[in-house]
Amino acid sequence: MADLVSRGAAAVRAANVLLRCAGGRSVLLRMPANASAGDTTEQLGLAAPEFQDVELAPVVFRKMRQAATALSVKVDKAARWELMVSATAVQGLVGSLGYSAASVLFATAFGVLIDGVLMEVVSATESGVFGTPYVYRLVLQSPLALVV
Amino acid sequence: MQNARDTFYVTLRDRLAAVNPARTMVLRGVTRPGVLVEENELPSAYQPVDAFCLRWTGLSVDAQGALPLVTLVCEIGYATDGDSGNGGMDRGRLLSAMDGELVAAISSAPQHVPKMNYVAAAGGSGLAPVAMATNVFWSDVAFGAATADGERLERVATVEVFSYQEAGEL
Repeated sequence: MADLVSRGAAAVRAANVLLRCAGGRSVLLRMPANASAGDTTEQLGLAAPEFQDVELAPVVFRKMRQAATALSVKVDKAARWELMVSATAVQGLVGSLGYSAASVLFATAFGVLIDGVLMEVVSATESGVFGTPYVYRLVLQSPLALVV
Repeated sequence: MQNARDTFYVTLRDRLAAVNPARTMVLRGVTRPGVLVEENELPSAYQPVDAFCLRWTGLSVDAQGALPLVTLVCEIGYATDGDSGNGGMDRGRLLSAMDGELVAAISSAPQHVPKMNYVAAAGGSGLAPVAMATNVFWSDVAFGAATADGERLERVATVEVFSYQEAGEL
């Protein structure tokens, strides 16, 4: 068992090194503040939540290949990007922000702020070894306002 | 029109919570009844499962009467992947349960409630919503065909919601 854990940790370290070597940078994950329990007006869109930006690093940001993006007519118009995120950074955020899992963290996020552009998170998947995730892959969609 | 939408949502939410108190969802860190209005939440590519998602689509106004009669079309989308403990083999039963909850909530009498204005209650003011002079009333629910998206079963049901547009109401 300890062998599996150490192999998983080794994979995490290797992924972090790869991400840093392949142009590792930092981005900001924009998280909405928790809703007010029992506040009907918030459910009616009468109150907007506050947001906080939390750093994700190291990450690698790149454009997706066209062949992999053609999922529907709607999303074809918007360019899609890929963000490879260190599992170390994600696990740190999951713990400190009090989320139960990385999937919940990314489902709750309002978007990812990259060089001043807020991109929507389309999907989030993880790659793992021996039960330990070592990298998360986010598919991002550029805002429709920027689509030419 | 917005008051009618708000009133219908709050009524449906409370009725669904009474029919099945266990149907809840966690949204932005808070557990609430498993129903939401898409346009009132942050845009998201994720579709919640085992919850009802309201989407306001059609709108028509009949101005022939003393007060304009507004007809709003509300699409209620819901989906389920089944229970992972059962390998998803109960997804048909879970979708059927959601069908039943929707019927119980929408078709139970009375199919009308006083129209409420929630604007004054916004921002934690502590003020109660204001009852208006007319009612909001609605049709029975019409179910679309269930569709399968991989292991996910989805359905869209439609309800027509009616209200009179009162003087000075936006």
